[in-house]
Amino acid sequence: MVGTTDPKQNMVLAALPTSEYRHIASGLELVVLQAGVSLYESGMRMEYVHFPLDCIVSLLYIMKNGASAAIALVGREGIVGVSIFMGGGSTPSRAMVQTPGWSYRLKSSTLSSEFERHGRFQHLLLNYTQALITQMSQTAVCNRHHSLDQQLCRWLLLSLDRLPSNKIEMTQELIANLLGVRREGVTEAAGKLQEQGAIEYRRGHITVLDRGKLEAGVCECYRVVKDEYDRLLPHVSAA
Amino acid sequence: MIANPRSNYILAGLPPDAYARLLPRLEQVSLALGETVYTADTELRHMYFPIDCIVSLLAVMKDGVSAEISVVGREGIIGIGLFMGGTGAPNHAVVQNAGTALRLKAELVRAEFAKGGSLQLLLLRYTQALMTQMAQTAACNLHHSLEQQLCRWVLLSLDRLPTNELAMTDQLVANMLGTRLEYALDLATRLQFARLIHYDHGSITVLDRVGLESLVCECYDVVKTEYARLQPLRGNAGTHR
Repeated sequence: MVGTTDPKQNMVLAALPTSEYRHIASGLELVVLQAGVSLYESGMRMEYVHFPLDCIVSLLYIMKNGASAAIALVGREGIVGVSIFMGGGSTPSRAMVQTPGWSYRLKSSTLSSEFERHGRFQHLLLNYTQALITQMSQTAVCNRHHSLDQQLCRWLLLSLDRLPSNKIEMTQELIANLLGVRREGVTEAAGKLQEQGAIEYRRGHITVLDRGKLEAGVCECYRVVKDEYDRLLPHVSAA
Repeated sequence: MIANPRSNYILAGLPPDAYARLLPRLEQVSLALGETVYTADTELRHMYFPIDCIVSLLAVMKDGVSAEISVVGREGIIGIGLFMGGTGAPNHAVVQNAGTALRLKAELVRAEFAKGGSLQLLLLRYTQALMTQMAQTAACNLHHSLEQQLCRWVLLSLDRLPTNELAMTDQLVANMLGTRLEYALDLATRLQFARLIHYDHGSITVLDRVGLESLVCECYDVVKTEYARLQPLRGNAGTHR
């Protein structure tokens, strides 16, 4: 069994051919990411990209009045900082640690040079970005058409798929910020799931007791995103 | 009429050698209002470079309900899935304003992209701008009124057209907003009462752009600013505005 801090816990790193992995291995630096920490702010050029291992990072947009909305989440299947290789170097959104854990960071300049070799790494990064685009567009349509109950189920399931256990560390405040609703709304939606026996919720710790019940309560958006990730990132679903 | 390829910002951004390589391979097509350029899960055979048309990327649910995710015009291309790696796309691309586009066969796009030159750079930067628009749509859908969303969409569309008129149908406006027909009409009528637009069966003429800009949410500006940052060329490109 691999250790919990093996870089190859991250699926992008795991899928790299040995020769390309060697180019960056010495530049990878293990860091612990605490919940609530920002990896980059709106418009900020990032010095590092991140390859999460067992943490989850939310990409969210914060309005001028402070209202926020999560756009996508990134875990061990991906990388935080796609704008580095896409060319913009920054985004109007922010990346915030949603669930704490380990991550490897790499200098953005190192990633850019590797991307420009046009090898397998570039291919993996673009495939991943395409999957991320699917998640973003599905979030847009889900936000338009589906209930908070459904959106919470989607968020829990997508998070669960990126974590090693059935425990998700997240405060209600944080969930409310991600889903862009008031805290009472989340309390109510989470309360319903708890009554159904789908989750157990205790002070910032969610334990998923019955995944099937979450899947029964979620909208089609979860499956659309999951299928697209499986299709574009076969190395992830096989892992 | 023969379209000027350089009206499209991606083609306009190409250096002479790459442009000369692609030019003889470009095929001019007319895209009709409401026409589907691709649907989810169909294989993309061409990349489209809009000249004076607008294409909406829509997500369509199993029950047929839809929502617009992004608009694409002369600043961009249709078919990012071609170079990002998948063979298809998870959404639908529907023509929202008829006009001309140039298209290039999928294998030619892939071959040119694989060279890693200027086309690759332009396409990736454009894709990042598109991601900003998608992300902003997601946030906007959660927090802003449908009236503001309609203003955002009209303004984003207008920025991509040579005129102040969008020729849609009632149904396409409703699909784009992801709402019932009656409600979409009600919203358009309200903007008409305020003398911001003239609305006639899906045909939208903008009468007061500044008025629309004062009504729209911040999302319009975020998207516009990010496109300008990522596509600095657009100021010199083409013959329009």
